Amino acid sequence: MSPMVGALSLLLVILAGLAVLPFFGSGYVVSFSIQVFMWMALAGSWNLISGFTGYVSFGHVAFFGVGAYTGALLITKAGWHWLLAGLAGSLPAAALALVIGYPCLRLKGPYFAIAMLGLNEVVRALVSYFEGFTGGGSGVSLPPILSIVPVYYAMGAVAMAVTLLTYRIITCQFGLRLLSIREDEMAAEVMGINTARLKLYAFLLSAVFPGIVGGFYAWYASHVEPLSVFPLLTTITMIIMCLFGGKGTVFGPVLGAGLLSVFQELVWARFLFVHQAIFGALIVGVVLLMPRGILGVLQERYRLPRTI
Amino acid sequence: MTSVQITGTMLFQLVVSGLLAGGLYALVALGLSLIFGVMRVINIAHGTLLMLGAYTTYWLFALAGMNPFVSLVVSIPILFVVGAILQKLFVHRVVNAPELSSLLLTFGISIFIANVAMLAWSADYRSVEFLTGSFLLGPIALSKPRLVSFCVALALTGLAFVFLHRTKTGKAIRATSQHRDVAQVCGINVRRIDLITFGLGAALAGAGGSLVSVMFAVYPEMGQVYVFKSFLVIVLGGAGNYPGAFFGGLLLGLVEGLASLFLTAQLSEVIAYILLVIVLLVRPTGLLGGRA
Repeated sequence: MSPMVGALSLLLVILAGLAVLPFFGSGYVVSFSIQVFMWMALAGSWNLISGFTGYVSFGHVAFFGVGAYTGALLITKAGWHWLLAGLAGSLPAAALALVIGYPCLRLKGPYFAIAMLGLNEVVRALVSYFEGFTGGGSGVSLPPILSIVPVYYAMGAVAMAVTLLTYRIITCQFGLRLLSIREDEMAAEVMGINTARLKLYAFLLSAVFPGIVGGFYAWYASHVEPLSVFPLLTTITMIIMCLFGGKGTVFGPVLGAGLLSVFQELVWARFLFVHQAIFGALIVGVVLLMPRGILGVLQERYRLPRTI
Repeated sequence: MTSVQITGTMLFQLVVSGLLAGGLYALVALGLSLIFGVMRVINIAHGTLLMLGAYTTYWLFALAGMNPFVSLVVSIPILFVVGAILQKLFVHRVVNAPELSSLLLTFGISIFIANVAMLAWSADYRSVEFLTGSFLLGPIALSKPRLVSFCVALALTGLAFVFLHRTKTGKAIRATSQHRDVAQVCGINVRRIDLITFGLGAALAGAGGSLVSVMFAVYPEMGQVYVFKSFLVIVLGGAGNYPGAFFGGLLLGLVEGLASLFLTAQLSEVIAYILLVIVLLVRPTGLLGGRA
């Protein structure tokens, strides 16, 4: 049990360090950490549906965008506290997941991916269309944020919640059933697993967190508009982070989001104009060279437990 | 808001415009359909290849004054080579992989090329002002560039069908898309067929781009809308059903044209999406039949 204890104490030290970070770190460090937490939560929630069941949600940013708009509108029009408004972002995201997941999770392989890609475009088109309510293309502006430290803790809590939930799922029957869907859905069904219902549960869980993250993001960014909260690039970024760390693992999305955020920050600062080209090359590299991700490779090579 | 009287002429005008747009969708979608049919790869970079075709035509027109329709003889071979290179270097590695790999890989290629295009040619909107104005047919106005593009698109689609049905290579492509393993057992070099198919698919996208350039603005991100639309066309026609892609293209153009009567352009996207989901659920083999 000693490596286990070592790993746990390391984890506790890191968490304690993160808890006191805002008291010592500069505004830049806190702000950057908020973004890392955001990506951890997003990559982790994509992992819940796509890493476990193999159904590729290619429009996952739709849930983030819906949450962001819900948060923004509740804060500006209903005067809600940002924390409540952010949490409320999960409700329409879950509703959207239910309405779309119920029919679309029956689609197989590439068809599901394309249906999800289309969903994002449709939600964006609808948000732009109902101008009176959503501000159309110019979006919604929120009051300027006075301190980002509360957002730091809120976003960190969401990232932690997603990771804990992933651990809980991977160690229980529900998780094993989801994995069996990924390996062979027909066989899973024959063994008596209600695949339609389980896929829907996983999809709902994976939509709730991007909704909350979106709500907090709206407050943090002080502005939401269709182009900023529904880009396909955001979906791809969460997928690549999850893939880079190791999909279907607990700490893969955390690791991937952390490493790639740092990488992105360095690239953004130095090579603004070729940022997309570098990101494109990175995607191609990850897909071709390490499709199983860092943790996937480590698990295979060093026989690490399945629950990392 | 004043109520608009919908007249028969108006309806006919929209049907004609819709079909003209549909011919182009059919051409572009056929390229995507070939690649998807043979390799099960959804080529997200299809729109970017279309953009490269459009720029080829733009530069030949702007620098050498070449007729945009004649420039097809340049853009088609160039894009065939680009496609073959992409297949040789990258795409062949994900042919039998899960769809996530091919979706991400082609997306990565797509933003890479788009970024390079933006650095090289800037993000400015450019236009090829070659044909302007309309033919008047009684009360119906037919935009000249659209009509000519439609006819060329139709001719190219026809040529592609002749190639697929009459030549040995074309037959091998269809055989591979019907059953990869059996085709291989029958002595078809499927790796070579993959290469030709991706080249051909890219060439069709490039031809589509050349034709789009005479109607709409040319800029690095111009191709994005065509990926989803092309996939919709494939679904309507049925995967692996190449004539189906043609009718699917016309149908999509028609639906969009008619939807514009009642809805704004933004909402016609919503209609297209609902159409996609319904067809996928009710008739996953496409309206004309094909493989699920």
